[in-house]
Amino acid sequence: MKNKADIVIIGGGIIGCAVAFNLAKKGMKDIVVLEKEFLASGATGRCGAGVRQQWGTRQNCLLAKESMTILENISDYLEEKVDIELKQKGYLLLSFSEKETKQFAKNLEVQHSLNIPSMALTPHQAQEIVPILNTEKIHSAAFCPTDGHANPFLTTEAYAKAAKKRGVEICTFTQATAIKIENGKIKGVQTDKGFIETERVLNAAGGWAYEIGEMAGLKLPVFSERHEILVTEKVPPMLDPMVMSFSFNIYCQQTPNGSFVMGHGPKNEKPGHNVNSTWQFLEAMAQKVTYLLPAIKKVRVVRQWAGSYNISPDRQPIICESEQLPGYYMAVGFSGHGFMLGPSIGVYLSELITGETPSYDVTLDLGRFARNEIIAEPSVV
Amino acid sequence: MREDDIIICRCEDVTLGTIRELIRQGYTTLEEIKRIARCGMGPCQGKTCTPLIAREIAAITGKDIHEIMKQNHRPPFGGITFEEIVSGRDEE
Amino acid sequence: MILEYDAAIIGGGPAGICAAIAAGKNGLKTLLIEERDFLGGQLIKQTHRFFGSEEEHAGTRGIHIADDLKAELVGLSNIDVMTSTTALGYYEDGILTALHDEKMVKIKPKSMVLATGAFERFLPFENNDLPGIFGAGAVQTLMNIYGIKPADKVLMIGSGNIGLIVSYQLIQAGVQVIGVVEAASKIGGYLVHASKLRRLGVPIMTRHTIKKAIGTDKVQGALLCQLDENWQEIEGSQKQVACDAICLAVGLTPLADILSQMGCETTFIGELGGIVPKRTADLETTKPGVFVAGDLAGIEEASAAMLEGELAGLNAVKFVTGDERVNERIHHLKGELHGLRAGPVGEKIRYGLAQLFEDSVITSEKIDSHEHDITQLAHTGIPAWENIDEKMPDEQRMIKPYAVIECFQEIPCNPCVFSCPFDAIYIPKEDINLSPVVNFDKCTGCLSCISGCPGLAIFVEQRNPEQGKGTVSIPFEMLNRPQKGDVVDLLARDGHKLGTGIVTRILYGQKQDKTAVITVETDIELVNKVRNIQLQGTDKKGVM
Ligand SMILES: Cc1cc2nc3c(=O)[nH]c(=O)nc-3n(C[C@H](O)[C@H](O)[C@H](O)COP(=O)(O)OP(=O)(O)OC[C@H]3O[C@@H](n4cnc5c(N)ncnc54)[C@H](O)[C@@H]3O)c2cc1C
Ligand SMILES: Cc1cc2nc3c(=O)[nH]c(=O)nc-3n(C[C@H](O)[C@H](O)[C@H](O)COP(=O)(O)OP(=O)(O)OC[C@H]3O[C@@H](n4cnc5c(N)ncnc54)[C@H](O)[C@@H]3O)c2cc1C
Ligand code: SF4
Ligand code: SF4
Ligand code: FES
Repeated sequence: MKNKADIVIIGGGIIGCAVAFNLAKKGMKDIVVLEKEFLASGATGRCGAGVRQQWGTRQNCLLAKESMTILENISDYLEEKVDIELKQKGYLLLSFSEKETKQFAKNLEVQHSLNIPSMALTPHQAQEIVPILNTEKIHSAAFCPTDGHANPFLTTEAYAKAAKKRGVEICTFTQATAIKIENGKIKGVQTDKGFIETERVLNAAGGWAYEIGEMAGLKLPVFSERHEILVTEKVPPMLDPMVMSFSFNIYCQQTPNGSFVMGHGPKNEKPGHNVNSTWQFLEAMAQKVTYLLPAIKKVRVVRQWAGSYNISPDRQPIICESEQLPGYYMAVGFSGHGFMLGPSIGVYLSELITGETPSYDVTLDLGRFARNEIIAEPSVV
Repeated sequence: MREDDIIICRCEDVTLGTIRELIRQGYTTLEEIKRIARCGMGPCQGKTCTPLIAREIAAITGKDIHEIMKQNHRPPFGGITFEEIVSGRDEE
Repeated sequence: MILEYDAAIIGGGPAGICAAIAAGKNGLKTLLIEERDFLGGQLIKQTHRFFGSEEEHAGTRGIHIADDLKAELVGLSNIDVMTSTTALGYYEDGILTALHDEKMVKIKPKSMVLATGAFERFLPFENNDLPGIFGAGAVQTLMNIYGIKPADKVLMIGSGNIGLIVSYQLIQAGVQVIGVVEAASKIGGYLVHASKLRRLGVPIMTRHTIKKAIGTDKVQGALLCQLDENWQEIEGSQKQVACDAICLAVGLTPLADILSQMGCETTFIGELGGIVPKRTADLETTKPGVFVAGDLAGIEEASAAMLEGELAGLNAVKFVTGDERVNERIHHLKGELHGLRAGPVGEKIRYGLAQLFEDSVITSEKIDSHEHDITQLAHTGIPAWENIDEKMPDEQRMIKPYAVIECFQEIPCNPCVFSCPFDAIYIPKEDINLSPVVNFDKCTGCLSCISGCPGLAIFVEQRNPEQGKGTVSIPFEMLNRPQKGDVVDLLARDGHKLGTGIVTRILYGQKQDKTAVITVETDIELVNKVRNIQLQGTDKKGVM
């Protein structure tokens, strides 16, 4: 392990690896990524890995669209032949009320302003795309054919491999234990395998973002919340798009290998690092999915697990350099959409760090809360 | 036929060669190898192949077999259909 | 609805059933969950008589033990039994879920005993995905539960008790076992089982392994090779054999997934079969109120599983009710377990347990009381003449019938002692591990002991020097049973044909419980050599 670095990135999830790759591509030399377990062992490797461009705010639409462009061309982009199991069969968003349909219409306007090919559908049209859909209470739907999902583990690995090729040192099973600060300046990062001298640190620690903030005396306005997810046995293809509903509270996809992956947003979950599974989740999911997609009621759930959403006050990420502590960067609070923002945030953050003008005109800084400029994204699970 | 073609994971058709290559690339935990090669994710949920993979990791890396064998187990063991989950709930 | 119980027991093998009985008898509202549609676990497949101490059903066939235990279980009204029910998981709110009757049921137990047993290991070799390669457990299930003959010519890999017993069961089902291959230098299972196979003509090849299965769309043979002391292939030792099935009996591993999912700490101990739960001498895991028993706690034997099951059940009683009255029985059970494991074959277990209880609650004392060297027996399954001689009476005594016990290895077993109505068999120092001895002053040659020995290791001989003739009585469990008066082939300890003899007597009643006792008359010099018979013209030996 290097004992001196230009930047130490704490966290080997999609964010840490994407930023490392982009920095290396820009020519930064001594980049070290610390990962306390294996790559993508945090939220990234546990997530649903959906990539949706159908957002309600311009900047989320933009970032997701840019990410999708990168993922579509990932081999060229990384200059490396990789398969990330990208399946682009769209996202079908379901509305269960007049009010939700109106919101969808507003969102479509934003999306169309960025040339995202989304469209409004009647329940009947939705059923043409998903024949197994129970449209009984569905009011309307929205669909974007270029949305989709990828394999999060392989995507992170692909970034990591390309980063390593460009000289990045990725230290797995290496935990950051302290950040050394003298006279208000970062001096280095202590790990369980030794000390690394550096003036720059990136907090990309996902569920542990708050703790990595505390290491530098920062109280970041984020907390972690358990989100559960399950996977079924492999069955023949019967669901093309990711099906999702905010009000019915579910997302469900069928991966290219045939298993279904699904989850929902929990109610009354206590903040914390608990990622145990619950039987209540199984019951809730079974109840919903047997209603919405009755044809899969005989499919077997083979495994359930959970991961952390790292959540900020407006459920949107915080990406900036700390004003209190120069050299301390953060990419935290991704809630349920860090995977799909990863590729574009990798570009954006590397530009912030190297002092270039960012490619995307977005406001994601920590100061937004003090300025009362919270991001009012209506479409989150 | 060579030794590398020996099937280690019967459920997902993963060969000894693939496993060895991954270990050589630095993937020295069951969790990583499982995620990349899918071995251990088949119907038997790794009962058959996990001990064999662990032995291979130990042989190549010299790591302690117990350290290697530590892995997360998640329910529901043996699997259960959505319908069966819902039926249990209906009784309430 | 959440079902509430004082004790939930997962796994309906011998360990789980005994745990349930212990809990139920002592007043706990108990639930026993078993994945399959029948109780009994591994016992059900075991058509052979059990080894072990008389107190723990030794000498009885596995299936019958299961029946006895089930009968006891049914008699207890506070025990609910759910078969065809799989434990799915245990959750942080103390709820155990199970798939029962096509529903996910939720159970809230005050204490638990995990007794999920073990699963079979697999072996990597070339072509190991060819059809015709089975695990020994699968073969046993096919034969003993469904009555299906799995193949015609089987090669067995592994000479542990399972490999040896399943080979024997295959032969009983009319399958030819072409040989048993063992990588170690010694036979792993009980040597009496090995001797049984040898006298049926099955070769046991120690220091050999399988390199490759031969065949294109199904098994047609196997490529074997010899190993040196470092387990490396000896060049030029490859050898091809023909068979239509390969049966793997290369060991068991505890089925610890639910256990680890529950958060009970585990550790890896090779001697106990792999990942095993950390536990106290009272079988309590690192999670208070959660106990383990049987093969899950470490691969051992049914006798130990039953003792551990009861021990775990009683400790669950103590945990739930605080009742100290069970202490006496707990103490007794621990003593029994200690006794079972005290001999040389228990050494592996003792060594494993010593690692588990680092403070060596159970010391791995080395008991080495061999009066005689059994190396030849351990390598080949055939005892040396010196060994046999030690079991023989003096010459004058031979004119009256006498029992010869060819049981030389120290194993925890004693049914022979109880099978003799004349108290002629004893085990020195009453140490269940020592090799039994016949008091020839007391032995009347009544034949009772022959069918009582699970190792089929007892023979009764008589010599008549004047006529140059003699008789041998042997245990016989094959289907082709001769009739009185038949002339039969006489086979030696390695299954080769010695000559012929006449069947003079057959005992095959209820008392023999399917182990016939067949007496043949032959030339005096063959008396001590004949250890098996076959109907003439039914040669079916191993061919390696
Ligand atoms: C159930 C679930 C479903 C989801 N579905 C989606 C979806 O469909 N689409 C989508 O876009 N997003 C989804 N998400 C969100 C997404 O997974 C996350 O936002 C994203 O993965 C965050 O990536 P990250 O790199 O910031 O964090 P992580 O992947 O959590 O990476 C952080 C890493 O930091 C490491 N780390 C922590 N502390 C230290 C330390 N002290 N030293 C060294 N390393 C440390 C951790 O081990 C971890 O690997 C979902 C999340 C969950 C939980
Ligand atoms: C061929 C053979 C010969 C043997 N010969 C002898 C002998 O001569 N003498 C001797 O003492 N021992 C012998 N043994 C060993 C003996 O059979 C085992 O040690 C004993 O059966 C172990 O008992 P158990 O209760 O721990 O496990 P098992 O008998 O394996 O029972 C475990 C039970 O748990 C059930 N189960 C597992 N998971 C779940 C779940 N999630 N939910 C519900 N149920 C579950 C299984 O279906 C099984 O029925 C032999 C074993 C074999 C295979
Ligand atoms: S032959 Fe009869 S008397 Fe002799 S040891 Fe056997 S049972 Fe006892
Ligand atoms: S002779 Fe006695 S101790 Fe030996 S196997 Fe037979 S019954 Fe057991
Ligand atoms: S053999 Fe690998 S998952 Fe079954």
